[in-house]
Amino acid sequence: MIPKPGADRSKRMIEMDNVGFTYEAGVEALRSVSLKISSGEFLAIVGGNGSGKTTLAKLMNGLLRPSSGSIKISGAPAESQSIAELSKTVGYCFQNPDHQLFCTSVEDEVMFGPKNLGIGLEESRERMERALSLMGIFSLKTMSPFSLSLSERRRVTIASILAMTPQVMILDEPTTGLDADESSELMALIRKLNADGRTIILITHEMKLVAEHADRVIILSDGHILLDSDVRGAFSDLEILKASRLLPPPVTLLASRISSIGISRDLLTSDEFVFELSRRYGSR
Amino acid sequence: MTEDHSQGGPPVAQPPLAQAPQANFVSPKTVAIYGVLTALTAAITIITVIPFPPTKGYFNLGEAMVFFSALIFGWRAGAICGGVGSAIADVIIGYGYFAPITLTAKGVEGLVTGTIARLNGGKKWSSVLGIFCGGSCMVSIYFLAEVIILDTGIGYALSEMLTVNIPQVAIGGTLGFVLAHYVRKSIRLPK
Amino acid sequence: MKGVFDLYTARDTFLHRLDPRVKILAVLFLSLLGFIMTNLIPLFTLLCFIILLLYLTRSTFSKAYFALKFVLRLMVLITVLWPLFDQSGTPVLAALGPIKITEPAIWRGLTSAIRIGCLATVWYILMFTTTQRDLVRALVKMGLRYDFGLALAISLRFIPTFGFTIESIKDAQRARGLEFDKGSIIRRSKNYIAVLIPAVVYALRTAETLSLSLQSRAYGARKDRTYMREIRMRSSDLVSLVIVVLLFAIPAVAKFVFGAAI
Ligand SMILES: Nc1ncnc2c1ncn2[C@@H]1O[C@H](COP(=O)(O)OP(=O)(O)O)[C@@H](O)[C@H]1O
Ligand SMILES: [Mg+2]
Repeated sequence: MIPKPGADRSKRMIEMDNVGFTYEAGVEALRSVSLKISSGEFLAIVGGNGSGKTTLAKLMNGLLRPSSGSIKISGAPAESQSIAELSKTVGYCFQNPDHQLFCTSVEDEVMFGPKNLGIGLEESRERMERALSLMGIFSLKTMSPFSLSLSERRRVTIASILAMTPQVMILDEPTTGLDADESSELMALIRKLNADGRTIILITHEMKLVAEHADRVIILSDGHILLDSDVRGAFSDLEILKASRLLPPPVTLLASRISSIGISRDLLTSDEFVFELSRRYGSR
Repeated sequence: MTEDHSQGGPPVAQPPLAQAPQANFVSPKTVAIYGVLTALTAAITIITVIPFPPTKGYFNLGEAMVFFSALIFGWRAGAICGGVGSAIADVIIGYGYFAPITLTAKGVEGLVTGTIARLNGGKKWSSVLGIFCGGSCMVSIYFLAEVIILDTGIGYALSEMLTVNIPQVAIGGTLGFVLAHYVRKSIRLPK
Repeated sequence: MKGVFDLYTARDTFLHRLDPRVKILAVLFLSLLGFIMTNLIPLFTLLCFIILLLYLTRSTFSKAYFALKFVLRLMVLITVLWPLFDQSGTPVLAALGPIKITEPAIWRGLTSAIRIGCLATVWYILMFTTTQRDLVRALVKMGLRYDFGLALAISLRFIPTFGFTIESIKDAQRARGLEFDKGSIIRRSKNYIAVLIPAVVYALRTAETLSLSLQSRAYGARKDRTYMREIRMRSSDLVSLVIVVLLFAIPAVAKFVFGAAI
């Protein structure tokens, strides 16, 4: 059985203090980033292309090491731990599934991570089956990953990270290239992972996803944190969103435009909008 | 930069397409596959550099791509993509003086491997024999070229052969074989 | 090993403006010159000349360093290893059991190292100053079939892309606990299967898309295709070509006709 990570909100999973990162080529991708992420949070990291989202994520599981500042994972300094060790705590799911799928069957693919961590065959198998069920693709177990649709391949990659039982899951633009239905199905599964107690860090530039699912949002712009607040607070600050070239979901824009008729301006989802309208004009 | 000698000439009257001489080019698929395999061979040669602690040397896995191209797409692809891709990699990473030798050595390697691998109906053992013969050709061409043409001295040529080329062929051959086997089994190939 | 996939640096020097065909021939003739020379002083002069031209390309320091560091390592290796295998000549400077170090062997090693230095560095005169597009166009002008030229252009275009893809694949597998720099050679090489397979699959998918786009752009519709930009020889190109030919021809005639020691 996979030990269920407890959602003890007071536990610090990731702590970054004044972290900077410069690529070899001289590109300064992050500047003095400080943040704290607690266990069980559903955090969204948003920002335009090239704002440093992927770089930030790679720093969290050791794929990149900070040029300055310090990072603590689960209270322990990250620099003394290898990527393999860190990936037991922080799982990073890459943007493009085709950059990691290579096995002849989905089950081998998902067992690859646990085996690398030195976990026995029996337990690897159990983890694999549980991860596949969690992602709703148990029936694909013996298929070749290359014969699957993009949506299915993406679930396989998430399952392959899940099987390493990390307490924190970073998902880099998991809905890119998916249609509306596939996207909302996937988000429902990710929410379930969060409800089970895992910390979720969602990297995206779809503000609709952020509004509907995240508790907290970090806006990155040009390598530094422009805003770190709860989602409602972030969307009420239209100026900051504009400055970082982000558009709030249409519903929020609409609410803000017609706020003069007495509607609250920080509405995030269409459900909230309908509720607000019916509160104001009485449901018929 | 190069503007001076590159002004477009005045438009020339063209015969209509139907009467125009038809090009006897290779198919677009072939152009695409050859281009891409060449690029991949070069990129893998440049990036997958593995230290070889016994001699503090380095070797790369570009060899795997030469064998792979030859086994899957035949001797022609093996020779062209393997030879040109490896030669481009040489130029990029600072072994430019080797480029003509590499072009020959890896080209022959791909050619021999691709030819022998198709013998006997393309059985597994033909592939293994092909890799062995192709690899041997590559190692000998490098050795002879270093001694005779580049005049690097027997010492350098021998140490290069034993510490780099032979391990590289052994490992590249194995990986190329596995790769070809895998790709045949589970991927629909463009052909 | 990352970063430098394209050695070209945009500048406006004489060498940048030179017809790429002349530069290709120059590399060829200077290499041949390196081969026919057998003495230390002429070879050293040639090396200095090549380095002067390299300096005139005004390339960046990082590219020059990247390109030349392997060459230096190699030159040192040849100089050191040569005397160990070349036992001929006197005086003997040192002896250890069956191995003796002789003075002529040291000079021969040095000569060979400098020749390799010439052959290795001369390429960068071309690579630092010529765009990939001009390079391929020049080769086609010099007789390379257009379709092979196209394949070559495609491959040059995709090397950096594939480079980044491979790095990204390595990272993706690292995130799944795979370690590339641990364990025996066999183990390390085996780990690369997890990189090579996605890379090959990605490349073959790219080829499929590419072939469709070639077809939709009427590749091969007619043989007498026209070009947007033509390369033409100017008088300065011709003068340079003559100089390059003479640079090779004069020493060659001196050596093979008059028996001069060069
Ligand atoms: N390997 C790399 N080498 C050099 N610069 C890079 C590399 N990867 C990303 N960058 C640069 O770092 C910045 C941040 O990139 P990234 O973190 O990928 O942004 P995002 O994921 O938000 O699109 C960009 O300016 C990008 O060009
Ligand atoms: Mg990104």
